[in-house]
Amino acid sequence: MTPLRLLLSLAARRLADAVRHPRIGTWAAVALPAVIAAAGLWMAGESVRPDLSTGDGVILLGLLAAAPTSIQSYPVLFRSPDDAFLRRLGIPARALFGVRALRLLALGAGVVLALMIPFVSTGEPPARPLAVAMAATVAAWAVSLWAQARAAVKVGEGRPNPFAGFLGPDPQLAAAASLVYAPLYPLFGSAAAARFAGSEVATMPVRLAVVAAVSVALVPLAAAAFARALPRFAPRAGEMAYAPPPDASGGELIVGRGIARLLPATVQAARARDAVVLGRRYRWASRVAWPVSIVAALALLRGGGSPSLRTAVTLGCGLLLVAQAGTVIALGRAERGRLRWLDRGVGLGAANRLLGRWTAAFGQGMAVALPLAFGWWLGVPGGGGWMWLAAAAGVAAVASLASMAAAGR
Amino acid sequence: MTDALPLSVRALRKQYRRRVVLGGVTFDVRPGEAVALAGPNGAGKSTLIGCITADRVPTAGEVRLCGADPFERPREAAACMGFVPEQPFLYPELSVAELLRFVAAARGLDADASAAEAARLLGMLGLAGAEQTLCRELSQGMGRKTAIAAALLHRPRMIVLDEALNGLDRTSAERLVAELDARRATGAAVLISSHDLDFLAGWCGRGILLPSVGTWRLLEGDDWEAWRRAPSLTAS
Repeated sequence: MTPLRLLLSLAARRLADAVRHPRIGTWAAVALPAVIAAAGLWMAGESVRPDLSTGDGVILLGLLAAAPTSIQSYPVLFRSPDDAFLRRLGIPARALFGVRALRLLALGAGVVLALMIPFVSTGEPPARPLAVAMAATVAAWAVSLWAQARAAVKVGEGRPNPFAGFLGPDPQLAAAASLVYAPLYPLFGSAAAARFAGSEVATMPVRLAVVAAVSVALVPLAAAAFARALPRFAPRAGEMAYAPPPDASGGELIVGRGIARLLPATVQAARARDAVVLGRRYRWASRVAWPVSIVAALALLRGGGSPSLRTAVTLGCGLLLVAQAGTVIALGRAERGRLRWLDRGVGLGAANRLLGRWTAAFGQGMAVALPLAFGWWLGVPGGGGWMWLAAAAGVAAVASLASMAAAGR
Repeated sequence: MTDALPLSVRALRKQYRRRVVLGGVTFDVRPGEAVALAGPNGAGKSTLIGCITADRVPTAGEVRLCGADPFERPREAAACMGFVPEQPFLYPELSVAELLRFVAAARGLDADASAAEAARLLGMLGLAGAEQTLCRELSQGMGRKTAIAAALLHRPRMIVLDEALNGLDRTSAERLVAELDARRATGAAVLISSHDLDFLAGWCGRGILLPSVGTWRLLEGDDWEAWRRAPSLTAS
């Protein structure tokens, strides 16, 4: 059996575990958010569907299809939990590349399917949006593989990036500049591929075939770069992921602050712990929230009457809420089999943990929802800003339930 | 390559930002010997082992496993080495038998011979009957035993154990040491880190001491004899 086939059979065996040994928690943690997201996309329909009659809409669909692939390409390629184990077994780098490239392609395919939901729900013929999204995803996939592998070679060999100076004075960050910029290439590539696939040049199958051929031609280059980079870069990727301990200023654990004092004492403790862990583990989720929501609120105040602006704000901030929900679920996964003993030891019951987690998650989501609610209330004719607070509360509730399910017994 | 030393480390230096963790560590591990790696928490034992197993990139210096650079010739180095990390990785979705079957296939071992060797190792470690247990259901000690079986399955020339005896019951630990002795008799070498200094002093023939303050020391000859009479973590 070739190493690639061996890895594929391993992946299949691991995936089949969810069926061979079904656990409610595992299914709930995956299926619940997925079903709710799909239902949300179905119901939102036209308001979350790019308008493909314009070039801008075509490119927007391409970027939406490409963004998850582009962002996830680094962790999929270089941060696999079994990476060190497999390298120590002597599995060839090209086999590792093969299985991880397929994993990334599967992610892209899932995103394409999700993006088709609002088109189907509004009765739009799905052929053209499907072709545009597929072209963008395939381009983003291939360019991501190539850009990340090439960046890993550069970082592994200590070659400087000409734009490293834009990242500030931190020499460690400057040394990783090629990796920081790598996700931009697939976005450019996917935008171009989407525009081409959505054009009137030749027939759609021909346009798709051209995009696929150009993309697939990049894959051997990416595989060669990956094989060259992996031995030295993979351990360095682990070292780069090291985060220094957070400083004591701000974000420290304070039990019973503000309106949290109204909660029962045990729930306050659970909320404070979860809020601090979320803030430290997934700092990006709170850092990115304020700028996005304030810009969105200001945009609504200036042009809230425009349906296209409201669509863009709804999409952007909705995605942010979903991303924040992802961090709450990830917190539950991190607890599985390791940290639950602490809660059991101090007698923290499931209801208290759930309520504490929900309040922490809702608090995280308020950074998005609060400015947006004001902006919507003041800037959009007819108001309705309260729906953002309700949405944040609902997303937090779903995420908390899924998080508890993921944490297991 | 088979004539090369199981492990050779030359002027190994590892630095995290400005902090030097390892400074110019140089030693060889010869066939049949057991070398102790001792030091307090945070002294750099796992970092040194990480540089040997290619889980850390040395800032300077070189490592050779059976003559192969683990970064330039990773497959040869992997074939030479069996490694049990302090926190072993096991696929939670696989059973013990499936995991060992996967390891054997990944290393290109004969299926029948490796199945027999896996059964022998599991029996030796007291895991007979646990073959169908999922790895996620294993206790810490059973997980470590599974990782040990996976590391020894291909009869490596260089066995690296990072706190590998932690969590093992006394009988299993004694059987493992007997197995390692048998491997050493056929030319395999062992590098073992542990906080059980009495065990290291009694079982190993040389040692490397990484004190929390000061420079590393290679303990051999009279230095080793003096250290094994009164094992300690200080450099003096």
